[in-house]
Amino acid sequence: MTEAYLRPDTLDEALAVLADGETRIAAGCTDLFAATARKILPGRTLDISRIPTLRGILHDDSGLTIGATTTWTDIATAELPPACRGLQLAAREVGGPQIQNRGTIAGNLCNASPAADGVPPLLTLDAQVVLRTKDGERSLPLDQFLTGPRRTAREAGEIVVAIRVPAEALEGAGHFLKLGARRHLVISIAMVAVRVSLVEGIVQQAAVAVGACGPVAVRLTQLEKALVGQPLDPHLVTDDLVAQALSPIDDVRADAPYRAHASAELVRRALAQVTA
Amino acid sequence: MSVAKPLPHDAAPLHVTGQARYVDDIPLPKGALHLAFGMSEEAHGRLLALDLEAVKTAPGVVAVLAAGDLPFANDVSPSPSPEPLLATDTVEYIGQPLFLVIAESHLAARRAARLGLAEIAPLPAILTIDDAIAADSRFEDGPRLYQKGDAARAIAEAERRLEGSLEIGGQEHFYLEGQAAVALPQEGGDMVVHSSTQHPTEIQHKVAEAIGRHMNSVRVEVRRMGGGFGGKESQGNALAVSCAIGARLTGLPCSMRYDRDDDMTITGKRHDFRIDYRVGFDGKGRIAGVEFVQFCRCGWSMDLSLPVADRAMLHADNAYDIPHMRVESHRLKTNTQSATAFRGFGGPQGMLGIERVLDHVAHSVGRDPAEVRTLNFYRDVAVRSAGSGKRFGGAHSPIRAEFETQTTHYGMPVEDFILNGMVERLRETSDYSSRKAAISKWNASNALLKKGISLTPVKFGISFTLTHLNQAGALVHVYQDSSIHLNHGGTEMGQGLFQKVAQVAASRFGVGPERVKITATDTGKVPNTSATAASSGSDLNGMAVQVACDAIRDRLAVFVAERAQADPGSVRFEDNEVHVGSERIPFEKVVLDAYQARVSLSSTGFYATPKVQWDRIKGQGRPFFYFAYGAAVSEVVIDTLTGEYRILRTDILHDCGTSLNPAIDIGQIEGGYVQGAGWLTTEELVWDDKGRLRTHAPSTYKIPACSDRPEVFNAALWDGANREETVYRSKAVGEPPLMLGISAFLALSDAVASCGSGYPALRAPATPEAVLAAVRRVQA
Amino acid sequence: MDVTLSINGTDHRLDLDPRVTVLDALRHHLGLTGTKKGCDHGQCGACTVLLNGRRVNSCLTLAVMHDGDEITTIESLGSPDALNPLQDAFVRNDGFQCGYCTPGQIMSATAMLQEAEDGWPSYISRSLETDPDLTDEEIAERMSGNLCRCSAYPRIRQAIAEVRDARGMAAE
Repeated sequence: MTEAYLRPDTLDEALAVLADGETRIAAGCTDLFAATARKILPGRTLDISRIPTLRGILHDDSGLTIGATTTWTDIATAELPPACRGLQLAAREVGGPQIQNRGTIAGNLCNASPAADGVPPLLTLDAQVVLRTKDGERSLPLDQFLTGPRRTAREAGEIVVAIRVPAEALEGAGHFLKLGARRHLVISIAMVAVRVSLVEGIVQQAAVAVGACGPVAVRLTQLEKALVGQPLDPHLVTDDLVAQALSPIDDVRADAPYRAHASAELVRRALAQVTA
Repeated sequence: MSVAKPLPHDAAPLHVTGQARYVDDIPLPKGALHLAFGMSEEAHGRLLALDLEAVKTAPGVVAVLAAGDLPFANDVSPSPSPEPLLATDTVEYIGQPLFLVIAESHLAARRAARLGLAEIAPLPAILTIDDAIAADSRFEDGPRLYQKGDAARAIAEAERRLEGSLEIGGQEHFYLEGQAAVALPQEGGDMVVHSSTQHPTEIQHKVAEAIGRHMNSVRVEVRRMGGGFGGKESQGNALAVSCAIGARLTGLPCSMRYDRDDDMTITGKRHDFRIDYRVGFDGKGRIAGVEFVQFCRCGWSMDLSLPVADRAMLHADNAYDIPHMRVESHRLKTNTQSATAFRGFGGPQGMLGIERVLDHVAHSVGRDPAEVRTLNFYRDVAVRSAGSGKRFGGAHSPIRAEFETQTTHYGMPVEDFILNGMVERLRETSDYSSRKAAISKWNASNALLKKGISLTPVKFGISFTLTHLNQAGALVHVYQDSSIHLNHGGTEMGQGLFQKVAQVAASRFGVGPERVKITATDTGKVPNTSATAASSGSDLNGMAVQVACDAIRDRLAVFVAERAQADPGSVRFEDNEVHVGSERIPFEKVVLDAYQARVSLSSTGFYATPKVQWDRIKGQGRPFFYFAYGAAVSEVVIDTLTGEYRILRTDILHDCGTSLNPAIDIGQIEGGYVQGAGWLTTEELVWDDKGRLRTHAPSTYKIPACSDRPEVFNAALWDGANREETVYRSKAVGEPPLMLGISAFLALSDAVASCGSGYPALRAPATPEAVLAAVRRVQA
Repeated sequence: MDVTLSINGTDHRLDLDPRVTVLDALRHHLGLTGTKKGCDHGQCGACTVLLNGRRVNSCLTLAVMHDGDEITTIESLGSPDALNPLQDAFVRNDGFQCGYCTPGQIMSATAMLQEAEDGWPSYISRSLETDPDLTDEEIAERMSGNLCRCSAYPRIRQAIAEVRDARGMAAE
């Protein structure tokens, strides 16, 4: 096939196209131009936005499955368990409403921006990225899928078909906070997501992730360990515990010490608000 | 009468239906070509060679021009100092145009432009104010100096002294409509140009030079701009000139517009400044003397930097009568975009300098800054003109001091000061004192969030400081069906100039504004116009239109008076009728009769601002016809652990004289405030150490959004006429309100100050990061 | 390649390079210049159109992807002589200065009022579970995808609030 633009109606057709040679995948397109420098889109474009099986949210006993081309608006307006509240809050912070109507969850992950809004809440949900080729399917934990800034483990011929959240990670409640000089239409300078489950006031599960403060968003596992088994207390979050896990970057949006400090403060606040 | 009515903008129904046309919306004839620049990737260097082979052979490319290929002048400078359209032997900033691509489509031109290879031998790049000071890289031979009295001595002898330094960032215009131009070649080598420009005559002038013709061969038309803010005073020259050169070369229409990142990379912005100050004062905060050293980063070319830096000096007193003052100004040349006009034109930076000083002094003496400001104000001057003001004499005889001249540090008498009265009123309407007290109480019981409040004044000089620019022309026709065609030299960029001027015309003829057709600014109709800038648009053009209308009206009056055997002076034009003796004749009948009686129904009008004269080298004279005043109270809340903040409430009282259109003026005031607050808070420009602008897209450069406006926002007009004879005694409103935004910045300073005992010394813009750093400083 | 775009209820058959955005197709291929190009990066909202009734940035989507979709632009609303209620409110409240962002603001507000009626929450909505009230603050929040450099925001918000009230979408 040599056509510059292809729009299959089924996943199998799309996988056949991908197997055939280098192809750019397009869905919401909200990051496509930004990532490809001024609209020079070389090679073939595979439009997966019309494949019905890739869009939608399924909640069953095994957990939550979010189709790859599910938009942020779909997520924000869906009825989901409280654990997904952080994800839903993040969904309403991606760009402006016009962007949320087009931008997709898998696009956000595949674009692999260090400041991708979707990543921290999905990390707290132990999300798995489901990839398929024409020959089969594999799943990767999100932190293994994201290998660096603008880099993922997706291989040629693969399509992200869904994001899966296991049932165990749907316990408790989630929250999301973002810091920015202006909240809208701005790439964040620090963001945090938390998910906490409590039994009789004692933390059973704690998941804390910070984004926009390093090459990729990360879970703060040391901090999580310090929280589990204790009554929920934001004061357990020290600046050091947070800073250790991060390798913040100096860039046009902020310098590193400010990011580290602000992240620690956001984590404390997110934990204070999560059960409210 | 239609003046003073809150009528909507003239093109309102076109704007809301998408029918209002901007330059890039004009349908182009078939075969039209599109232009793009290839740009320098080095901040400073010798241009050794340009390899344009790949550009020339790229798909869709028609022609590629470098500096040596230009047929005539290679100059787009608005100043006496040259500024090449395309770099010759030296490149002076990253983004400087090196060559021009002419192609069949916008995309083809842009793609091809990226294929050029420039061989540049790098030279040391002077990027920052410190770099430029170290290298003594500047425009003009040395610093300019304006002063009165002996500031050094006054400071030395003062009871108390302070010194400090303030960094003030620049500002990207971010006009929503980017720069754009179209050139349409005409018979005999003539050229018609559509340009998104505030200065059609300059475009005409530069285009004529570039195509080797006289100005009478070039006609420039401007219907409207999608925002200008000063960014289209000189920065459109390069596009219009390129289009004309392309059109001359190919014989085809040529169109050029900058994409947003190119626009931000190529064009100039507001000048960033560093202002060092020393001040002497007494225990109450009354200032005895101030010294300012203003360092102004001008970028690579002179552009409008000299008058910008002059205006910064001229506003270093703002509203304060300071007995001894010295202002030294350094105009530094750097290898960055050439900073240019931006709403306020240096005035905001100069004003922020003295407002910082007042804030610092008040902190030092432990008083409310609002009180220290009032203490230092010029005196209000009572209205003196007979019959229109207060009665003098008897028990209310004014004290002698009221008649003593008070002058600025550049020798201009301040004859119309009203801020004492305005601020008193604003303090009441904004409930300043009780809110100030409530904030102190609130801050004492809140550790995380701290509130701050600030009241700041604005006194802004109105007139071009280059005196000869204070002139304007108009052309008015009344057609035989009594419809009125109106043209003048001002351009419409959203400030409502066309509507205001149309209201003036309608009022002169005593007809409704719907009878007046406002037409595109056109150098073929009104020649030798000044830029629509310096807030002067309605002052100058309104008066010129009034003169033109009155000429026609007077002819009509003579005509009807003669017929009715009446005195022409008794003829009145009201309610679409002409009143002569006891008779009332419909306006349309008078017009038709006059036409048939062979009375001329067309006139030009001309206006030159009186009283102004100014020596910018000596720093003495009267650069301004009058001052426009305003004051604002802003209340903010900051988060002391993240530095984030919000503007909670803003109250503004602003002086538009007798407003020509209160709705439009209120819009200018609110918009100016938000834009000024944006400049000093979220809008941060960042260059890397190579001189590359890193904030060249809206994703990284943050202008205020809808949710950033103050939660409570009250803007009101001061009800006083201009004391000078301006059009219907109105005052200019374009620039002054921007500086009301300073109150937001100093409210942040107030909030930070409540966190400790030190002085915040906030830098501008006060980003959350800067606010947090200041919080930590005062806590230390 | 061939694509059929349904714009304001009329089908337009076009032969387009697959890289052409909906915005460029409207402006350059169909002469519909009411939709403006502000930043071309999906950041300013000047190019907002409705795609199957939902607001999107037309600069960020390829025309070929919308074969058969319903695209609605500012040209489909009222005319200067017969403004629709939102357009009329913008005129009466001075909801603009230079006017360049105005078509995008109006398209965005059109969709936003519908979203609020449909019960979509915004970031500041207190609850994700109950229908949000369309307060003035909510309007500002929901219009944050549309920049106005003249900062006519207070007037824009006022114009939209007026239509909200006229449609009986009470703000508590």
